[in-house]
Amino acid sequence: MDSAIRLRGVRKTFGEKVALEGLDIEIPRGATWGLIGPNGAGKTTAIRIVMAILFPDTGEVEVLGHRSALAAKDRIGYLPEERGVYRKLRVRSFLRHIGLLKGMPRRGLDETIDRWLARVELGDVGRRRLEELSKGMQQKVQFIATVQHEPDLLILDEPFSGLDPVNMRLLRELIDEQRARGATVLFSTHVMQQAEELCEHVVMIDEGHKVLDDSVAGIRRRFDLRTILYEPMHDDPDPARLSSLPMVQRVTRRNGTWELHLADGGEPAAVMRALVDIAPPARLEVHRPSLEDVFIEIVGRRRGEAEQARLRRELGGDAPALADGGAA
Amino acid sequence: MNPRKVLQVAIREFLSTAATKAFLISVLIVPLVALVMILVLPRIINAKPPAVEGQVLVYDPSGRLVATLSEELSPEAFVERNERLRRQIREAVGGSVPGPLLEQAERQGALDQVLGQVPRLEVAELPGPEELERARQALRDRERSRVLAVVRIDDNAVEPAEDGTFGAYALYLREGVDDRITEQLERAIERAIVDARVALRGLDADELRVLMRVRGERTVTVTDKGERESNEAIKAILPMAFFMLLWIPVITGGQYLMTTTIEEKSSRVVEVLLSAVSPLELMTGKILGQMAVGLLLLAVYGGLGVGALSAFALLGLLDLGLLVYLAIFFVITYFVIASLMGAIGAAVSELREAQALLGPVMIVLMIPLMLWFWIMREPDSTFAVATSFIPPVNTFVMMLRLTSSAPPPAWQVWLSILVGVGAMFASLWAAAKIFRIGLLLHGKPPTFRTLIAWIRMA
Repeated sequence: MDSAIRLRGVRKTFGEKVALEGLDIEIPRGATWGLIGPNGAGKTTAIRIVMAILFPDTGEVEVLGHRSALAAKDRIGYLPEERGVYRKLRVRSFLRHIGLLKGMPRRGLDETIDRWLARVELGDVGRRRLEELSKGMQQKVQFIATVQHEPDLLILDEPFSGLDPVNMRLLRELIDEQRARGATVLFSTHVMQQAEELCEHVVMIDEGHKVLDDSVAGIRRRFDLRTILYEPMHDDPDPARLSSLPMVQRVTRRNGTWELHLADGGEPAAVMRALVDIAPPARLEVHRPSLEDVFIEIVGRRRGEAEQARLRRELGGDAPALADGGAA
Repeated sequence: MNPRKVLQVAIREFLSTAATKAFLISVLIVPLVALVMILVLPRIINAKPPAVEGQVLVYDPSGRLVATLSEELSPEAFVERNERLRRQIREAVGGSVPGPLLEQAERQGALDQVLGQVPRLEVAELPGPEELERARQALRDRERSRVLAVVRIDDNAVEPAEDGTFGAYALYLREGVDDRITEQLERAIERAIVDARVALRGLDADELRVLMRVRGERTVTVTDKGERESNEAIKAILPMAFFMLLWIPVITGGQYLMTTTIEEKSSRVVEVLLSAVSPLELMTGKILGQMAVGLLLLAVYGGLGVGALSAFALLGLLDLGLLVYLAIFFVITYFVIASLMGAIGAAVSELREAQALLGPVMIVLMIPLMLWFWIMREPDSTFAVATSFIPPVNTFVMMLRLTSSAPPPAWQVWLSILVGVGAMFASLWAAAKIFRIGLLLHGKPPTFRTLIAWIRMA
């Protein structure tokens, strides 16, 4: 009963293509989880299965304690990746319609809508048709449609894709408010940095398989501590001395910084002490690889080096991180 | 299924269709056209030839026709003929035209005469064949000549030739003479010739005419419920009216349902909706919403029909039970057709793609139109009875038979309804499957085979 979402052994195929295979996910109530993976990994399929928009071939789904999200639809806020509105409808009618479909009581609905419109600085557009609004304004209306009924569970599929920087910050604020209210949040993204900034816990999917399911802190602990960055204060030491330190597998140098890669089981603290003895450091730290590095490493192991390079390009470039976006 | 959500979807669907300017205009156009027709009706009844002036030149070797022709083509004769025509129409339609309209038409006749709104034709005789040619030439000169028509009567037109054959006549007209004038001219010439032939045999033409006329026929249909006056005009209109009352709202509702479904799908709003309602709730709501649109059309058009009948004091001709059957058959037909069209809307991504799938549905809807003639000719033929039980045409066939001169027995009506209800549930079930799968699929439009595969999927 404590989990907001529980998937067990979920498999889904579309014809020949296996979209999801043996997916297990269990999200506790009140948590913020990220579902990450490259495009086409199966994130949207997994979310649609949670929403009971699609049904798994095999496996079990439990949402907010119900066997199907159908029974709990009114307590879920869902922002699909493909976000649409009735173009001809007026803003307030649209929000009323969605609100009523979500089981909001008629009484007080207009006031709630007005309050939300004011909250996102659209106080004066209630009577305008959606097609008259700019794309950014339509996005705000879609956020309201997702959260106006104060759902217990918020499911956001690639919520930041296509948003302008202002709306990106707004959505992030809204998500934070919902979390503070106690809502469980699950969102998918293919931009690892966003997941890193927002989530407590991530599930990685690649080609329909879960490849990682851990808290962000845990991931750091597990994957982090094997590279030490070292910049000496004065003259560079002899590279041979660095290589000969115990448990150091390989030494590389990039932009004046030495990178010491430790073997499995290497103790960073011991190596760091030894480095201080060799030459006093101007900078000495354990490298904290990003989620992206972790993901690429995992996928690389599964798929090989060439694919790893391709993924690095795909994941790195095309979407800004939340923090950068907000500053624009 | 959550009835509140279904209702909300239905209300939205109804409002988004019926509360638009385009819809109001398209719905109002039919009643407006009907109103114009009613206003124009007296003028159609009053189909009198236009006012013209001119000469009719007659070359008549017998010399017996000119006097009769002059009389027949005088303004008074025109007015009298108009009156007679009106009387005949009034008898033919059996009082189905409101009294005030006829009175107005009669007043118009008297008025026309005073105002000179009748043709003023001057008949003159041509002395010989040479003048005939000159008169024909005069027809070409529309500017200066007053000659409207030239008539050449054959030598043996009145008195037969030696072998007993009668001759004919030729009528030469100026360009642009109204065909109602032409018709009157022809009738006048024929009558003049016949009168002259009759007179030659020493008989009285007027007396003969009286002898040849039979009036006041009355057709009564005798049924086990009693006798009722048959009204041929209404009898022909009634099946057509009921058929159209069934056909138009069903097609309209189905079309709207398909369009709005495609719109929701292509604007991607459907996924937002599916996060709040199940596909079945969505489909049910949409179908119900558009059914309300169809019923609105039915009420407007049907109400117009009933209103017209009561205005003409003919409501007695309409068996009110028929309206109940109409409502039942509407619901059945609508559900069958709308679920098919809704499924098509859900399966495709844009209207253009729908056309290919819509073809078969439209053909099915055309079948009743093609059957119409056969059903109406023999409403109780084996063919008509058989098609009464084949959905989805059964409802149309039944509606035609119910309004025909030979209504089917009650068991056939109810069996047809039963078959229809079965078809209704089958098509709703199939449509729900297509709806669920199709709504979220984008890309290549499915073929009919794919749709069948979807239906067979669990």
